[in-house]
Amino acid sequence: MSDLRWVIWLIPALPLLGFLVTVLLARSERAAGLIASVAVGLSFVATIASIAVMQSLPEEARRLNIVLWEWISVGAFRVSFGVLFDQLTAVMALLITGVGGLIHIYSIGYMHGDSRPVRFFAYLNLFIFAMLMLVMADNLLLLFLGWEGVGLCSFLLIGHYFDRRSVAPGIVPSEAAVKAFVVNRVGDAAFLLAIILVFSRLGSISFFPNEALGINGYLERAPELAFTQVGIGFLGSIGVITAICLLMLIGVTGKSAQVPLYTWLPDAMAGPTPVSALIHAATMVTAGVYLIVRNHTLFSASPTAAGVVVAIGLVTAFLAATAAITQFDIKRVLAYSTISQLGYMVTAVGMGAYAAGMFHLLTHGFFKALLFLAAGAIIHAVHETQDMRRMGGLKDELPTTFRIYAIGALALAGIFPFAGFWSKDEIIAHAWFTVQNPGAAVALIVTSMLTAFYMGRQVALIFYGKRREPGTPAHEPGNAMRIPLFILAAAAVLGGLINLPGVHWLSSFLEPVIHEPEVVYTLGMGILATIATLLSIGGAYLGWWLYARALAGRVRPGRDDPALRYLGDLWRGAELGWGFDWFYQRVIVRPYRNFSQTLSDVFDRQGIDGILVAGPGRILGVLAHGVRVAQSGFVRNYALAFLIGVVVLVGYFTLAGR
Amino acid sequence: MNQIGFPLVSLIVWLPALGALLLWLLPRDNTAAGRIVALAAAIGALVAAVPLYILFDPSQAGYQLVDRVGWVSDWGLYYSVSVDGISLWLVLLTVFLTPIALLASWGSDVANPRLFQGLILLLASGMTGVFVAQDMLLFYMFFEFTLVPTALLIGMWGSDERRAAAIKFFVYTFAGSVFMLLGIIGLYLIHGQQTGVYTFDLATLLASLQLGAIRIDPLIEQLLFLAFFIAFAVKVPIWPFHTWMTTAHAEAPVSGVVDVAGMMLKIGAYGLIRFNVQLFPNAAAWAAPAVGVLAVITILYSAWVAYGQSDLKRLLAYASVSHLGFIVLGIFALTSQGIAGAVVQMVNSGVTTSALFLIVGMLAARSGERDISSFGGLWGTMPVLGSLTLIMVLASIGLPGLNGFVGEFTILLGAWLSPVLGWGFVLLAVLGVILSAAYLLRMFRLVFMGEVPAERAAMPDLQGREAIVLGALLVPTVVVGLYPNILFGPMQVTMQQLAQTLTQTLASR
Repeated sequence: MSDLRWVIWLIPALPLLGFLVTVLLARSERAAGLIASVAVGLSFVATIASIAVMQSLPEEARRLNIVLWEWISVGAFRVSFGVLFDQLTAVMALLITGVGGLIHIYSIGYMHGDSRPVRFFAYLNLFIFAMLMLVMADNLLLLFLGWEGVGLCSFLLIGHYFDRRSVAPGIVPSEAAVKAFVVNRVGDAAFLLAIILVFSRLGSISFFPNEALGINGYLERAPELAFTQVGIGFLGSIGVITAICLLMLIGVTGKSAQVPLYTWLPDAMAGPTPVSALIHAATMVTAGVYLIVRNHTLFSASPTAAGVVVAIGLVTAFLAATAAITQFDIKRVLAYSTISQLGYMVTAVGMGAYAAGMFHLLTHGFFKALLFLAAGAIIHAVHETQDMRRMGGLKDELPTTFRIYAIGALALAGIFPFAGFWSKDEIIAHAWFTVQNPGAAVALIVTSMLTAFYMGRQVALIFYGKRREPGTPAHEPGNAMRIPLFILAAAAVLGGLINLPGVHWLSSFLEPVIHEPEVVYTLGMGILATIATLLSIGGAYLGWWLYARALAGRVRPGRDDPALRYLGDLWRGAELGWGFDWFYQRVIVRPYRNFSQTLSDVFDRQGIDGILVAGPGRILGVLAHGVRVAQSGFVRNYALAFLIGVVVLVGYFTLAGR
Repeated sequence: MNQIGFPLVSLIVWLPALGALLLWLLPRDNTAAGRIVALAAAIGALVAAVPLYILFDPSQAGYQLVDRVGWVSDWGLYYSVSVDGISLWLVLLTVFLTPIALLASWGSDVANPRLFQGLILLLASGMTGVFVAQDMLLFYMFFEFTLVPTALLIGMWGSDERRAAAIKFFVYTFAGSVFMLLGIIGLYLIHGQQTGVYTFDLATLLASLQLGAIRIDPLIEQLLFLAFFIAFAVKVPIWPFHTWMTTAHAEAPVSGVVDVAGMMLKIGAYGLIRFNVQLFPNAAAWAAPAVGVLAVITILYSAWVAYGQSDLKRLLAYASVSHLGFIVLGIFALTSQGIAGAVVQMVNSGVTTSALFLIVGMLAARSGERDISSFGGLWGTMPVLGSLTLIMVLASIGLPGLNGFVGEFTILLGAWLSPVLGWGFVLLAVLGVILSAAYLLRMFRLVFMGEVPAERAAMPDLQGREAIVLGALLVPTVVVGLYPNILFGPMQVTMQQLAQTLTQTLASR
């Protein structure tokens, strides 16, 4: 079957084709939705076919690499335009095309009646293409193409309502779109430096040896440089691998929305809800986690960098969870929750729990897509309201949506036996037992409690009590939206099966890529898992009880959260995402913008133009005036300078006499 | 005569000028015929460039397809034109952009279109001449010649401050080029005195320098370097010599046609490679850190100023200066990646910035405005133009898969690997990647996103001729982005040889 290897090209090619066909030919909402969904569906089929082809090969050959053409070659720098398909890519591609396909189908229902449906579906396909290029690239630069590509698509999709002055909750879509791109660019610039550093030190940016081009792979060479230092000026020196990893990490904090570059993601919900599900929950933001797993030989070789990764992940997981508690916008809770869960994944891969990180990436992809899509159904049902204070009591009006949402919430809260429980538990267990870092484990457990708490709060606010803003009755979603929800709900319930203790199908599937030793399950792990899940249940119940019972009467549209009275500034701080945005606005954006005008008006026009340019001109003019050689200004200056120059030069060479 | 027995390069140079002559002979009031003649001449040069590309032998490093005629042979002055791996793409860029500029100017009702088109054609001839001149004095003549039509184009058809801008442009570049003439004469005399052969021929001079037939005192080499550097630094322009360029772009005719011509004017950067780096590698290595600092300042300063601009053309002018900073950084990395990246970036920035200038012209033609705040939300009413603008913006800010990224990345790579610059420069230059996204996306947001002002609601989308113009620019934007080796391939050997010389020079320092 080896001649079937070309099939892997179809995986990214089909969504690209779908994008082109949609852009160039589709004129109706129906056609666009259909073409786009079919393209992704076929890409999903191609992914499964590729896995079959790969598995039919002998074990040592299960890494398919097809070079389409040589992309850039200048001097010793050579890089291919080629796709790679191994176990890690397979898992990512399944998630992207699978969940992505469901979101496409959902969107057919959700976007019905939108003013620009063709663009929307075209961008969705382009996004899937970019994300697939990201995970299928056989080198860092092509990965970067996908990396920036998803950034572009998020710009396009966040800006879908680019002509609206603002969307709920008071976000300007065009500004949010630009913000997402520019903030991501900060990370991307660092990533670019990482790529250059990899090339300069390891001589190649191809992941694995590339026979077609005759170039080496850098991943396997990383351990050689484990102790090589590189000087960084007055700051002393740093390990090469550490430097590469830290630069990559900055890129990760941008794309995967970690502290300190996460600020674009809460605003990214300005796009239509399926976009939030696709880009900002299930796929795009996982790119950073993928990058670390792909480069695990580097991160494993640098304990310093790995430590920083863990620290960033933990801080993000905790801070974002606290911020999620305080939000009233249904999507914003989920957005902060995404950031927090990504912190979980980043912590996991920083600790070397690559399989666990990937496991959580997958289950999170299922239940977060589910939650966002279900949130979309709720938003539709209550006529584009996103403020949870204006909801309440929807349990009876939307029984199906309620059950689906509850499944998603339980999975996210990590309650046994839903998908999130299994993946989250593996990460906590790894922290406690494998790397023996109880501090990290406790932080993760606390975050998990907070997660359960805000989901309990959210479910209570949306579904329990009385409708706080009576209006037209809510309605359940149609079939196009309902079927993807059911499938995702099933995945959120059963997703844990893919890496169940004792079965660990995912771990062994990924083993050829990440070479992780098999986890041995002990009684201690069982006890830890039981404690963690009990705490989560407690957190969820507390959140639910407070907002469905104790404080329920004091939640009113337009008013602050009743808990604000007890927590004061702490609550406010969390509500504002701990002030990162505020800080950037005041310390970077505003000074940059204001000084830009000063630079232009004062420095450029009056300084450079006024003194440097006009000054010498005037002096020359005065001089020339005395000489009175010619009439017009420039001829005069020119002739003078010319004359002096020629005399000096000819004089020099004549006198030098050689 | 060259190996094909036909003066192909000369044909490409003089065909536009011939067109200008024909235009002059045509009756003044026959606008349609004038247009056709002008376009035919420009397309003729483009067509003639196709065999040039085919006949160009990428495995040869030196000058090819040489046309050489004795001129003032006693002084060693020849009319000799040719192409090599460095100039080939710049020639192709020029002949590609000229018909686009002419086509774009059809719609704008310029006064005296015949003269306008004639000047554009003369400018094209002059610029092609600069790139192909193999004789230093001939280079100088073409170099000076380009000033006249450019100054006239700005001075006669520009905006309010057009005359001041034209004079500023002229004086500025003229003053800079005086130093170049000194440098040329100096090099001529040194070569003559040491070898007895008085010649302006670049190939001969280069060979003498590389073979050690002449030796230049380091101090003299540095002075010669500076003489050329001042001329080209002004021409590029490098900060703080950039104000003539931003003024010129701001005052140039709003249609963007002359700006396109300006985009072809990569003469400064070309001269830096051809003279400063190729002829004076020692002095180039000596000056590289200082030039690198200026280049980084150019990148960041222009990007910062661009962010605050409200005039679209001024904004693009600063954006273009910022790109040029990258180009200079690449050149003075003195590595094959850096210089190849610089050449590629010259071509790419020529294509994408031209497109953006023309787009501003299209917006201005519809609204009579070019102030950023007078637009908004046009992506809804003009979806095609909006999308094309976005593609050009993305290409310009270096999105991988489009052309701008290739040059930017290779320049950064080259600067990092450079023995004279190093990672510190890259660390600062890479900020330009962030800042360019900030100012160009701000522009896109304010013009194409947000609410549509009532008076802009009825602006028509892209029309036939405009679509051809932008479509033609879109092709290289995408093709080069996906297959940049189409550019790198023909220059590979030239760059290798150049890099080899530079490596030897740097090693012996």
